[in-house]
Amino acid sequence: MSRSITLGQYYPGKSLIHRLNPRAKILSLVMVLILLFSLHTYEALLAQLAVALLLIWNTRVPFRYFLRGLRPILYIALFAIIIYFFFTSGGVVLLRIGFITVESHGVQQGIFIILRLITLVLFSLLLTLTTTPLALTHGIGYFLKPLRYVGLPTEEIAMIMAIALRFIPTLMEESQRLMRAQVSRGADFETGSIFRRAKSLVPLIVPLFVSAFRRADDLALAMEARGYRVGAVRTRMYEDTIMPLDWTVLLVVIAMVAVAWILGL
Amino acid sequence: MFIGTDRLTHTYMPGTPYAKKALDNVSFEIKQGGFALVIGRSGSGKSTLIQHLNGLLKPTSGRVFFDGHDLGQKGSELLKIRRKIGLVFQMPEELFFSETIFDEIAFAPRNLGLEETEVQTRVIEALEEVGMEAEQFIDRHPFQLSAGQKRMVALAAVLSLRPEVLILDEPTAGLDHSGQKILFKLLASLNKKKNMTFIICTHHLDQVAALADQVLVLQEGRLVMDGFPQKIFGRRSQLIEMGLSPPVTAEIMADLAERGLDVRSDIFNLEDARAEINRLRRHRVK
Repeated sequence: MSRSITLGQYYPGKSLIHRLNPRAKILSLVMVLILLFSLHTYEALLAQLAVALLLIWNTRVPFRYFLRGLRPILYIALFAIIIYFFFTSGGVVLLRIGFITVESHGVQQGIFIILRLITLVLFSLLLTLTTTPLALTHGIGYFLKPLRYVGLPTEEIAMIMAIALRFIPTLMEESQRLMRAQVSRGADFETGSIFRRAKSLVPLIVPLFVSAFRRADDLALAMEARGYRVGAVRTRMYEDTIMPLDWTVLLVVIAMVAVAWILGL
Repeated sequence: MFIGTDRLTHTYMPGTPYAKKALDNVSFEIKQGGFALVIGRSGSGKSTLIQHLNGLLKPTSGRVFFDGHDLGQKGSELLKIRRKIGLVFQMPEELFFSETIFDEIAFAPRNLGLEETEVQTRVIEALEEVGMEAEQFIDRHPFQLSAGQKRMVALAAVLSLRPEVLILDEPTAGLDHSGQKILFKLLASLNKKKNMTFIICTHHLDQVAALADQVLVLQEGRLVMDGFPQKIFGRRSQLIEMGLSPPVTAEIMADLAERGLDVRSDIFNLEDARAEINRLRRHRVK
């Protein structure tokens, strides 16, 4: 469990996709997702899937990480298959079990929907597996910026997200350390009834809260000492500039969308 | 064989890009009643090693043994062994969760399933062992204590298990000089009177070096030295090369030798150093 949470989903690498600006990646993903939803021919969808697989191959991230990311949609896919296969009529009857029939239109649409879902998740994983959580937050924060004009404290929201992400591994580590320490004092977190187990968490939760509050206090003090003020405009240590490569990728994506729409795929 | 490891290897997060070998083929043994120091820079595998000695981690390969048992085994056997090996973590007072010192110290014996009267006996005994008046302290809140007192209560909270082996990770971190002195005096007396075996990870060798009868040096997960303190601290330049600081007394003796004085090079505690310097002075007077 700790492994998947500790470092977000990021898989380090140096591929083209890893090096892209997170903002360019987020924008590209949004466009690709819109495109995926507007596609309605098998050819176009398979082409998109091929693009996704090509990019996955390019990242050098082991494919099992993508498979693990696909696992959560397994049930959705199963549900879609049942709905489409059994409840969509039209076309040739392929199978008949009593009064239930499976007809070709349903099969076609069901597979289409699942393929679309898989492609969608693969593209999303391409973003989350190749971008550090921090870069991702900064990217999202950038696109939230316009909301500042309607009174949303976007800088602060981005800061909160960044800090939260930063402290997830720390708190995971801390809870693991505390758990081991209490186990060495004879604590048992694993056996007993639910009530007993909930009660056995007290020696874990109290110190965890104490240390979390102390950390928060220290962090606030350190931030203030370094001149952090709510509402002030912050500059970044590492400015992420949009490189020619990023423009190229964005143009390619726009071209892809344009082709799909013009040809009415 | 009392407590130790046999070709112990531990890899964190195996099979991921974050995989890290924290221990590599480590074998050693500590005798009953021994007092061992584990030294090494941060990240050398000390903490991983002591967690293995308490059965908190599973070896990637190799064995951890205690009194004829294999700690790698699952089940109640491990729990039985674990209560004989007390582990005091770094900054142990951060584990406090009870409202009274009594409950804090009683946590471990209660987990053993002991009768409440027996628990009470053990709490009082543990508090007295660390030199604290039981009546005065048992009803107080742990957070009201001074740093030194908190550390002592944390120690008592492990002593209440009546362990045969006590493992301490940086026991003096965050304590002032007198606090350190009191703590080590206590450990020395437990070692002598109760024949309790000690394994201590530390950076502060000055006060504890004199108590030890074995020193283990870890470097990047490998056990690079294991032997008597005289032998290990005699290899001053090697230790310094590894980024470790030998006890100050050893440094002083080396410095004196460098200035052409005829001093023994295997001295690393205050008493011996004093005797040696006095001997030199008498020599001069003659």
